[in-house]
Amino acid sequence: MFLDFFYKLKDIGVPVTPTAFLTLHKALAMGLVGSIDDFYTTSRTILVKSERYFDLFDQLFAHYFEGADMPDPDDWEIDEIMRAMLEEWLKTPDDLAATLGITTEELASMTPEEVVEYFKQRLLDQTERHDGGNRWIGTRGTSPVGHSGTHPGGMRVGGVSRGKSAVKVAMERRYKDYSHSGPLTQAQVGEALKRLRNMVPSGPKDQVNIDKSIYHTVKNGGEIEIIFDRSLKDRLKVILAIDNGGWSMDPYIEVVQTLFDYARAQFKEIKTCFFHNTVYDCLWKDPTRYREPIWVSELVRLDPETRFILVGDASMAPYELMAADGAIYLDKRGGYGIKQPRRSSIENLRFIADTFPHSVWLNPVPRRMWDHTQTIGQIRRIFPMFELSLDGLEQAVTHLMAK
Amino acid sequence: MDKPGVFTGATKYVLDSELAKIVNVSMALEMPLLLKGEPGTGKTMLAHAIAENLGMPLIVLNVKSSMKLVDALYQYDTLTRLNDARFGDSNRDVSNIEEYIRMGKIGQAFTAETRTVLLIDEIDKADTDFQDDMLDVLDQMSFDIVEIDKVIVARHRPVIIITSNAKKDLSDPFLGRCNFHHIAFPEPKMMRKIIRVHFPDIDDLLLKNAIDTFYRLRQLDNIEKKPATRELINWIRALRTDPDFNPKKLVKGNVPFLGVLFKKTRDYQLAFDAVERSIFR
Repeated sequence: MFLDFFYKLKDIGVPVTPTAFLTLHKALAMGLVGSIDDFYTTSRTILVKSERYFDLFDQLFAHYFEGADMPDPDDWEIDEIMRAMLEEWLKTPDDLAATLGITTEELASMTPEEVVEYFKQRLLDQTERHDGGNRWIGTRGTSPVGHSGTHPGGMRVGGVSRGKSAVKVAMERRYKDYSHSGPLTQAQVGEALKRLRNMVPSGPKDQVNIDKSIYHTVKNGGEIEIIFDRSLKDRLKVILAIDNGGWSMDPYIEVVQTLFDYARAQFKEIKTCFFHNTVYDCLWKDPTRYREPIWVSELVRLDPETRFILVGDASMAPYELMAADGAIYLDKRGGYGIKQPRRSSIENLRFIADTFPHSVWLNPVPRRMWDHTQTIGQIRRIFPMFELSLDGLEQAVTHLMAK
Repeated sequence: MDKPGVFTGATKYVLDSELAKIVNVSMALEMPLLLKGEPGTGKTMLAHAIAENLGMPLIVLNVKSSMKLVDALYQYDTLTRLNDARFGDSNRDVSNIEEYIRMGKIGQAFTAETRTVLLIDEIDKADTDFQDDMLDVLDQMSFDIVEIDKVIVARHRPVIIITSNAKKDLSDPFLGRCNFHHIAFPEPKMMRKIIRVHFPDIDDLLLKNAIDTFYRLRQLDNIEKKPATRELINWIRALRTDPDFNPKKLVKGNVPFLGVLFKKTRDYQLAFDAVERSIFR
């Protein structure tokens, strides 16, 4: 029973497991499901384990149990466009009436369902007659989001819930907002970085060490001796080097800022420094990269257990990375103040990677784009590179904490 | 009259029929119910409501990041035993380790005289190992006390509610053993019901204007911590204690006690500016 439904869920990308399917059948056998509404609620709660898939589930459910053909993606697309446009138009009933070719009075007398149906009909007509490329779809980009539109009859599109059939509830696609992966928030970064900890004893000795207490007590012939230890505190040293220069990083400023804010709040010992595109002979303590240099050659003085995190898009002209004189700033090519013979940036990067065994490069550029940039490939060979996303951060943390 | 053993809502909790169904299905299938949703959607309150409605005791396990699974199961109080062994001034039998075992929250739920509601709050705080191991225990409804080699088997299978605030998903094995529901933020209509439950004698105009203003403030951009139900209830409580307050003012863009709604400096500032600019006028 519902085997087809189960496989279709799987096909459209909802991760469903056979175990969950069996559980659903157990629920059916126990007589917990008495109606299609029950089935909707029950199957969703058992089969779907994340709100991100609720929307997909809703779509499939609506189409599956409406008795309609299995929808192809185009239908969904039309559905989407229609909803967005309708919402916009309902703010201006006169325009809507005019476009649909009916009077405002007629429009006011229609229920939202009727308007939707009528509209859908019109839309399909249009699509057929104009071979797809028509102004209906073209206006899509201007449709705003928001639920403030009202129908003259006083109802909101997709807004009324409860007390409806499950199919209609599913049609509302209440969970649409959750199906997109939103931007990284500070809380999310926090979650990902939570495990980046190195617990070492510090502070007052206020924790009882039971093993030692017993050992010493026995040794004393039963005279109790309680041994106290320092409690474990997080004492991880972190250096966060951020690429803050150039337009190429501009689109990612917010996400980097979030990471930066969180890191500041989380770690006691964090050094932040800056670079542009790649690391030359020094990193800079000041965001303007002008006043306070930190020489790469002097990084050896730091604790090698320090976690070194570089954040940057790693995208630049290959010569910037490879040539000893590659810096795009003229004053960084010249000799003043530089204590060591200049090395190419890639050598500097290798030096950092060798100095700090626990180092990663976080890249805000989506992973699928990495192959398109030569320098990303080169830097990846030096630093383990992770995407600056929730999953990427998680992997990076795992890597940083590995022994 | 309510059927026994079926959850129908509680005095201070407004239940929607969908969630009621989900709770009942989970109870019938004897599976833990994992609840997600933004703060203030009543995840924790649900467990309280179930306990009240079904007349079961509620046991709350507040998960902490440093928590080990054994802490949630039982504790072996070695120090007291050591002390008793040395001074012998208690009536406990030192040679009987069992007298020094104390049940943790899960242990309490297992050994309770009656069926209990076990709320495991904010599971996402703990690491994945904790989560998976805990689900093993909850699956088998038994655990082993290593020190005395005794297996504790649940006398009654507790109703298990697990909450998570995390945006990110929990591990697959974990999810596989739970039923799942995501509680969306209540619609204004639902919110009106919720507020009515908390303030049965509330003035209609105040109710309407307060909720309207609340939802408008929630829509402000760039708010880091959006005010939730708890904040709204406190805010209405504050409004009601102010003798000078007139609900009509709210619509005119005079919004007092913003600090009750917005608790982060930046959020407060944003909301304050928005109100000052009188976007509502």
